[in-house]
Amino acid sequence: MMPFFADLVMRTDEARRGFETNSVVLDAVARGMSVERYRALLLELYHVVWHFNPVCAAAASRIPDSHRQIRYYLYEHMQEESGHEEWVMSDLEAIGVARDSTVAHSPAMHTLSLNGYNYWAADRRDPCSVLGMMYALEVIASVYGGPFSSAIRESLLLEGERGVSFISSHATMDAEHMASLRTILNTIVDEPTRDAIVESTLVNFHHVTRIFEAI
Amino acid sequence: MRPPASPADGLHLILGRKYKYLRLEWTDELAMLRVRTCVKPIQCYSLAGLTEMQRVLDDIAENPGLVRHLVLSSDVTGVFNFGGDLALFVLLVRARDLDSLRMYGRRCIDMVWWLEHAAQRGVHTTVLVQGDTLGGGLESVLPFHKVIFERSAQAGFPEVLFNLFPGMGAWPLTIRKAGFSVANDMVLSGRLFTADQLHRRSLVDLVVEDGEGELAIDALVRSIDPRLRGTLAALHARRMAAPITYESLQAVVDLWAETALTLTTRDLRLMERLARAQVRKVGGDEEGAVEEIKRIELDTAWGELRTGNTQWGDEHAHTEERGTGVTAWGALPGR
Repeated sequence: MMPFFADLVMRTDEARRGFETNSVVLDAVARGMSVERYRALLLELYHVVWHFNPVCAAAASRIPDSHRQIRYYLYEHMQEESGHEEWVMSDLEAIGVARDSTVAHSPAMHTLSLNGYNYWAADRRDPCSVLGMMYALEVIASVYGGPFSSAIRESLLLEGERGVSFISSHATMDAEHMASLRTILNTIVDEPTRDAIVESTLVNFHHVTRIFEAI
Repeated sequence: MRPPASPADGLHLILGRKYKYLRLEWTDELAMLRVRTCVKPIQCYSLAGLTEMQRVLDDIAENPGLVRHLVLSSDVTGVFNFGGDLALFVLLVRARDLDSLRMYGRRCIDMVWWLEHAAQRGVHTTVLVQGDTLGGGLESVLPFHKVIFERSAQAGFPEVLFNLFPGMGAWPLTIRKAGFSVANDMVLSGRLFTADQLHRRSLVDLVVEDGEGELAIDALVRSIDPRLRGTLAALHARRMAAPITYESLQAVVDLWAETALTLTTRDLRLMERLARAQVRKVGGDEEGAVEEIKRIELDTAWGELRTGNTQWGDEHAHTEERGTGVTAWGALPGR
């Protein structure tokens, strides 16, 4: 049986390339974006990040003992991700968005769809679906986060990590996370769970692509 | 294995499949299958692109005698193929996923292996390169029986610039066509070469002016078709005289995958720099990955100039034959 990580990479590669080759994403990675659009993107990301740990917690509380290794993995991961919404807030402040405005921002339809799906999947589909969310978000951060933050820095003339700390640090941090995520994914052998994770990955890539497209 | 279909059924099957990244055309008179690749917007060997290409090759193999000529070209202006899917590499390296890196490499050499045996399958293969072809893109060109480049096309193996090497047949295929010294120079320098430079090195059979590639294919195929059986037998014998084994290709892929896992953050950043340059060209910029490679070469050369360490010594003083002439070696005064 093929290790699940390899299987997941193959079954979702087109969705990954769908994100990568979306014209808005291509342009953003190549040339950065205007400060208005970057603000709009970070405001949406804030709500994705803010709901990341609650989704993980909802999933962890529903994961059966047969997959307890995933529950423990989620506990550790939640601790690492805790407070990262503050980084997004700081970046937004650096580009002129007050903290109150960030919290008060109403997320766009695609962001609501993304978060809504992830809660629903953890609750009703399969709690291990959460790994699909993590895979999609970590691929986006670790593979595209570096070039994207460089492009933003160049286009907005930002200095150092100011304004890009969230994306830039996740590009490095999620590189380490990818290796541990592969290890945990390879422990999953049952087909229904694998299928649920694949589905979640596809949905997450789809919605994140739409979020980029809409800003 | 399925029993062979009738020629009409076989052709219907081959042409009837729905492909996302390939466009197929059939010329009945010559039994010629044209395959045009179109992995938009970034023309590279993505997993899906490889799967589709292998599907076409398998269909040809399952219908022996149907296709006499297989011709590959690119539908993307200015780019034949950028080679491996760099974003996928970055993902797999960061996930430390040796299995998937090997799997990707094996899919590539399966295609090389099929082309290596094309003459035995009764198929003559031709490739037309009308734009940049890098790394795996160039590797995929070398197993074709006839390689045609339009004059402005450039090619090379840039992998060494980010501490990797081309692992899907570059060494044995280049050595067989051009000799050990040329293979050494091309793989270890990471430099780019013009169509004429590759022609002089026997890696390209024919260089034609830009825009004349299509006519050249037609003329070439029509000249070979009347003497096809003899030509294929001779090409089969050529392979027997200088064989390449699947095991050796596989061993190199395994080494390539292991080496990929040793890439550092700096190496991956360079890879990302190239990927970003590819993206810029797709977005309409004049400059893309080829220009970025030249910049990386120049950076390296300036470093050498400052330190006095050229790695090569004086035996490589002939600038004309080194690289594209606008790259590091051509740019350095007094070399």
